[in-house]
Amino acid sequence: MKLFVSEGNPHCVKVLAVVELTGVKCDISHVNHEERVVPYLSRPVLPALAMPSGVYLFSPNAICRFLFESSGSESSSLTNQWLEWEATELQPALAQALHMTALQGKRAEAAAALQAPLSFLEQSLRKRATPFLTGEEVTVADIVLWAALYPVLSDSSFMAGEPAQVGRWFERVGQLQACQSAAQAVLRGAGVEALKGYLQKQPVPNFQRRDPRPCN
Amino acid sequence: MTVQSAKMALRELSSLEKSLGLKKPNKYSTQGDKKIPVLQNSNGPSLSGIVTIATHLVQEARRPELLGSSAEERAVVQQWLEYRVTKLDNCPKEEIKTILKDLNLYLEDKVYLAGNNFTLADTLMYYGIHHIMVDLTVQEKEKWANVSRWFDHVQHYPGVRHHLPPVVVLRNRFYTSGHH
Repeated sequence: MKLFVSEGNPHCVKVLAVVELTGVKCDISHVNHEERVVPYLSRPVLPALAMPSGVYLFSPNAICRFLFESSGSESSSLTNQWLEWEATELQPALAQALHMTALQGKRAEAAAALQAPLSFLEQSLRKRATPFLTGEEVTVADIVLWAALYPVLSDSSFMAGEPAQVGRWFERVGQLQACQSAAQAVLRGAGVEALKGYLQKQPVPNFQRRDPRPCN
Repeated sequence: MTVQSAKMALRELSSLEKSLGLKKPNKYSTQGDKKIPVLQNSNGPSLSGIVTIATHLVQEARRPELLGSSAEERAVVQQWLEYRVTKLDNCPKEEIKTILKDLNLYLEDKVYLAGNNFTLADTLMYYGIHHIMVDLTVQEKEKWANVSRWFDHVQHYPGVRHHLPPVVVLRNRFYTSGHH
């Protein structure tokens, strides 16, 4: 198996942390943001996992889930629910927030964009009262959410008022060596600034699409 | 998710229940501004999100093969389920062409999204792409021939279509589209 990653791409933090944590063997290849690895996709998409069979996985969460399953941990319904929430709810808000912070210097607006998903996460952690999202053990859901939130939550000046449970959970997951080295490998300790090159290549997030008013 | 697409999501889940042969319909509600579907579970916590719920229904129906028969196939199925909710749903008009182009290339050497086996990814991608296929002209359907072929396979797969009208895909077939 060959895993393609690029520097400054927050999704690559997810997969690199999972590779180290699960110990699944794969060759890691560092490529440019512009590299088109998956032959049938028009736009360059990273990370990507090339299987010996010729199959490509291009969704970071599917790659993470697959690596966990290959090491013997199948995901529960609750884990699936967090992965889906991350992809459909958290990512659109994060795309906005990172765009505003790194490319427009609008930190206050960026923090506001993240308020709803962060308070949802806070409530869920409070309700369950377990050290990790789905229980006593770290699952793929913790790694994926941790890595997604890393650029904003690791920056103390950015998220000064982060909710208490989220802060504790974030610190707990971040203590894993696998998470620390993945963050270092991709972001080089530069936080949101390290994402600039990657973000400039992404389509501008569609701010209108998150209009809370229902449109019939 | 708009109110309209929330209704669609609940309709999809109800069609999926029928196609899986689940006898007792589940209870659903929606959550938040975006009306995310929530499955009410009498003997456990509720589940939210269409992919999570659909995956759960397949397990409930004891049809694990629909989620993929190997770790690799399961990953491919999950990937297309995620693609459906992140790329296809709410996709801006100007993105539709790219999606069709990519899918068309991907499906060139495949019968179904996961290869030779029909899976949950086909069902949910079919539901999600139906409104796009309905609007394609004959020429466009020919241009995206692999997508059209896949779509036609899936809409004729036993028990899948349910709440959606059939779409005429190939020129030499005489299906009536729209109301029926």
